[in-house]
Amino acid sequence: MSFDFVEPVVFAVLAFGVIGAGAAVVLLDRITASALLMALTFLCMAGMFVLLGAETIAAFQVLIYVGAITVLILFGVQFTKQGGDRSYALFFQKQYPLAAALVAAVAIPVALFAFSFTAPAPPPGGGDIRPLATSVFTDYAFAFEVASVLLLAAMVGAIVLTTRDERAEAARRRK
Amino acid sequence: MTVPLGAYIAVSAGLFFIGCAGVLVRRNAVVILMCVELMLNAANLALVAFSRRFGAVDQRGSVFVIFVFVIAAAEVAVGLAIVLSAYRNRPVIDVDEIHQMKG
Amino acid sequence: MPVGPLGLDPLFWAPLRLIIAVALALFLVLNGALLQIYLERKIQAIIQDRLGPYHVGPFGLLQTFADAIKLIAKEDVRARATDPWFFLAAPALVFCPMLASWVVLPFAQDIVGVDLNIGLLYLTTLGSMTVLGIVIAGWASNNKYALVGGLRSAGQLISYEIPQILALVSVALVVGSLSMIDITRSQAGPMVNVFVLPFSFLIYFIAALAETNRTPFDLPEAESELVAGWLTEYSGMRWGTMLALSEYGNVTVVSSIVTTLWFGGWQGPGVDAIPLLGVLWFTLKVYGVIVVMMWIRATLPRLRIDQLMTFCWLGLIPLALLNIMVVAVLALAFPDTKIPIALASWLLVIAFIAGVPFVQRRRLALLRARASASAVRAAS
Repeated sequence: MSFDFVEPVVFAVLAFGVIGAGAAVVLLDRITASALLMALTFLCMAGMFVLLGAETIAAFQVLIYVGAITVLILFGVQFTKQGGDRSYALFFQKQYPLAAALVAAVAIPVALFAFSFTAPAPPPGGGDIRPLATSVFTDYAFAFEVASVLLLAAMVGAIVLTTRDERAEAARRRK
Repeated sequence: MTVPLGAYIAVSAGLFFIGCAGVLVRRNAVVILMCVELMLNAANLALVAFSRRFGAVDQRGSVFVIFVFVIAAAEVAVGLAIVLSAYRNRPVIDVDEIHQMKG
Repeated sequence: MPVGPLGLDPLFWAPLRLIIAVALALFLVLNGALLQIYLERKIQAIIQDRLGPYHVGPFGLLQTFADAIKLIAKEDVRARATDPWFFLAAPALVFCPMLASWVVLPFAQDIVGVDLNIGLLYLTTLGSMTVLGIVIAGWASNNKYALVGGLRSAGQLISYEIPQILALVSVALVVGSLSMIDITRSQAGPMVNVFVLPFSFLIYFIAALAETNRTPFDLPEAESELVAGWLTEYSGMRWGTMLALSEYGNVTVVSSIVTTLWFGGWQGPGVDAIPLLGVLWFTLKVYGVIVVMMWIRATLPRLRIDQLMTFCWLGLIPLALLNIMVVAVLALAFPDTKIPIALASWLLVIAFIAGVPFVQRRRLALLRARASASAVRAAS
């Protein structure tokens, strides 16, 4: 007897977590619950990255998605008033059965097709931080710099969008 | 026994379609942002799985995951900023209600 | 058939090792919190010329045990308007990442849970997860003080994470590894990293004070303005888990990181002969850092929220980036010796300490000018 059974069991648990929590994000009406379950999806995804042997990516995943993006979204939730979703007679909105049928018609064949992928090579051993860093800072150095400029632009843009012009608001109030 | 590559890709596809359905069905702007994040993450899983199982020496696929992280962070920051500034002008969070830009 | 330690089947040994490790970590967290609360009270009392706890046990040593028993025996109070699921989940969300951080702390040469080759990244990752629990606690409490505390905390923790990680980068640049074991090994002998990289130590220490909600950065739970911040609605053992266990556990983790990265971890006289002596050195160094944190708490007043954010974004982050640039350039230019890095680092420390009063005076003059200008505008 050996530890062979551990990896498939862990994978099954994580896959259940990813799919279940992801579905709950869409289906639940309470938005804070959606946000927390999204964090759970991201955590399970990090677990999958660890299973694949990409522990650096897993660490970044938790750092960025759970530590920053989920908290940002919770901020957004707390700053806006949340009513329930209203049902509309437009295209898909709130028509869960129709949307589910349409998406499933595409999703199920694709998911079944996905199972047919097989890998030629066994997963390489060892950590992934060294190959990752080598690739990022040699072949993809330019793309890396562009990405950093994008982040800077996004930061400036977010600040500009959310800063209130206090003088203009005071003037409006005086009128 | 290692988990076959196909299982990872199937989970990735499943999560992608869940996020896709969420964007179509939900009307709350913040929830739509969350669903877009789910879709990006599903793509990450596929990238990492292919990169680990095919790229034996250099994990070039994983590099793109780092760029996806950057895009996701930028997207959620700017997206939330837009939602907040729209909310400040008119306190609605429903994307169908925000139609003043329509001609 | 492979045989694990003590002649046990590895299939049996692996879960056993897991249970032992988790139990040991829990034991250390619980007792560490009890000890640190006692230390905190006694040190504050000594600095403020009081006696501190002295009723229960010799020198009041059993006071915190008595308090813990009181907390456990307390009634479980939950306000009706709180969000039941999130209210219960928040303490766990704060506690679990802290407990998981103990996996990579190197107590001695061979006494470490796992020697992860991304150990440092793992620790920062878990540190960033605490924010989620605090924001959820503030939201679920359905209380305005708790909400403001939670939002403040999210802003503060996310902001101060940046200089914290940037300070760690310079150490990784010099050592060339993220594994806690490798970092400790690289500091054999008296030349520990704090002499080479004092500036990144300074930045990390300041940011770590903010990350662990210690005074002067304890705004999320500022008692005198926010009642108790995000902890307002919590009582009994739930409060104990959140505040006492998690916060003091985080203080221990952060001090362990400081010890490992800048003070040589378990290294010390006599470790080569008796490896178990490393545990003693490690613990002594960690508690030395903790005592300094308590000393700072008794000395400095609390900052205002805008001062806190300004200091981080306009002060610490640019300085941390400058530090990375200087260390990276010097490490590339002089790969054989650490002396230029050390010199540049010490120069930055001196410039920082000398520059703070200067910048403060200019800011004060600016604020005064602005205030008088607005007074003139109001009068006219």
